[in-house]
Amino acid sequence: MSLLEIKDLHAGIDGNEILKGINLKIGPGEIHAIMGRNGSGKTTTANIIMGHPDFEVEKGDVLLEGESLLELEAWERARKGVFLSFQYPQAVPGLQVGNFLRKSVASIRGEGEAKGSGFREGLTAAMEALDIPRSFMSRYVNDGFSGGEKKRFEILQLMLLRPRLAVLDETDSGLDIDGIRTVSEGVNAAIRGTESGALIITHYSRILEHVQPDVVHVLLDGKIVSSGGPELATKLEEKGYEWLKQ
Amino acid sequence: MDSTSRYLSMEKPNKADHLWRYTPWKKVHPTGDLSEIPPLSPPEISLGIIDGSELPPGIELKRGVFGEPDFSMSSALTNSFLHSSAETSRWTLVVDKGFSSEKPVIIDIKTGDLASVAHISLEIGKMSEFELITRVTGSSEWFGLLRTGQIQDGAVVNDVVIGLLDRGTMLRSDSIEICRDAQVRAGTVSSGSERTKSDLRYIMRETGGNIRVLGSILSAESMHLDHHIEIHHEAPETFSRLSWHSACGGSSRTIGTGMLTIRKGSIGADAAQIFHNLLLSKTAEADSIPELEVMENDVIGCGHGTANGPIDEEQMFYLKARGFDEDDAKRSLIAAFLNSTLSEMGGVDLHEWLVGELTLQLEALNA
Repeated sequence: MSLLEIKDLHAGIDGNEILKGINLKIGPGEIHAIMGRNGSGKTTTANIIMGHPDFEVEKGDVLLEGESLLELEAWERARKGVFLSFQYPQAVPGLQVGNFLRKSVASIRGEGEAKGSGFREGLTAAMEALDIPRSFMSRYVNDGFSGGEKKRFEILQLMLLRPRLAVLDETDSGLDIDGIRTVSEGVNAAIRGTESGALIITHYSRILEHVQPDVVHVLLDGKIVSSGGPELATKLEEKGYEWLKQ
Repeated sequence: MDSTSRYLSMEKPNKADHLWRYTPWKKVHPTGDLSEIPPLSPPEISLGIIDGSELPPGIELKRGVFGEPDFSMSSALTNSFLHSSAETSRWTLVVDKGFSSEKPVIIDIKTGDLASVAHISLEIGKMSEFELITRVTGSSEWFGLLRTGQIQDGAVVNDVVIGLLDRGTMLRSDSIEICRDAQVRAGTVSSGSERTKSDLRYIMRETGGNIRVLGSILSAESMHLDHHIEIHHEAPETFSRLSWHSACGGSSRTIGTGMLTIRKGSIGADAAQIFHNLLLSKTAEADSIPELEVMENDVIGCGHGTANGPIDEEQMFYLKARGFDEDDAKRSLIAAFLNSTLSEMGGVDLHEWLVGELTLQLEALNA
């Protein structure tokens, strides 16, 4: 059974159809990438999978391990193992990072996982891997974070929450080369060698040099127009998207 | 003229009076009969350290207030009423010069079931450094708290009043003078009473005074919480910030009125006030009216602002995407909103204590 299956998905926002029939299957342990121009529907796909209330599904289905997600609230999807690394993570002034992480882990993995030395050790190891200083814990969620700090913080959450399916929405944007390498190592640590899967949404092939995808899909005007191996990302980097229109 | 005679001789305010526009004196008075000062009980008052450890030497809560307070900067009506009715419950917090305490000091006021009133005069000695919590709890239908006094030269004081009455009306009036180079954080945490009228006034008459006035206000059901805050700069190089956060749910109403004055000669004064209101229901109402009177041209800055809005849907989605259910996400965002000012009120111990108290209130309201 597929980990994620998207079947003939038609969806949009405010009455505008953005996705025009997407089909996609991700198996356990697989990493897929979606590449495409601005406005092609990449972020819409991520939001539909996570259950953003502003987006409307007109037709089709999104299944996690055979179960439809569409009737579930975002928090129910999160507890079933869906994780979205946001392109623009929200700042929540007043909510301390430490409390937020503990509560999030308790909600998704259970109260017992958010307590004691096991949680602390896992947190310390993930922070060290991502080069995040301890002082982060007393800051407020994404409040005053630089672009790079926000992306590292998203991956820290990915590592702690251990989802079944991780959707990474332009996690590489705004990161320098070292940042991309660090974040990629975090993604690999969370997904590779597990039964989880990932969908990486990106404009560029840079992150795909560090997180080798099994399949690359190209999204144009709300449709997947081409799928292939990692070499497709390299070709897109060299040739752009125009050739796919022909 | 003593305070009783003064109150009885005064003309009672009408709704055109700025201070009483949103909460008329008649609704705040314990009986509604404005011509009387009814007998009120003394509450139970104790002084201690928040963790129950022994008080260090140099701080004492003494019975009585020495002399007639200076009411020149305050509402004569409120203060003469409170001063008169608190005749059997007047206290002075005497803090010696150079006193310091690592752990927050608490004045615990338990109102009991009866209408009660207290007057506490703060005599905070020079160069002292500590955190003071004044906590009001109880089930009385009416409680009045008058706080007057001085924070003397060079003192560094975090002064937080937390009102947690189960019901009824709370009338509070503060008239505090901040002396030369004193640094004060004056916090107000308010939740619980059905009606609150606060009139908080801080004056800096000497160079270098520095105050941050912070409010974390939580209202629900049909509560009516009205806070008026005045900060007066009357000397050069004085600094003030007012940051007031109110979260309003149910059919409650919060009012925040601010008056910031910079008198001629207060060269280099730096002042700003901002009110933020989080509206948690369609029937909740929040009014904020910041006002300025700037008589000196040579100031570093003087600004004011106000912002109202509901819970941010994108923040809700972010928390839900991290497993928070609807109630958890909402409660966390309310707590975060209030914590933005709460966390500025003092150090780690004080902050943790305040978060604990506020969390209990949020859980009670949620239940």
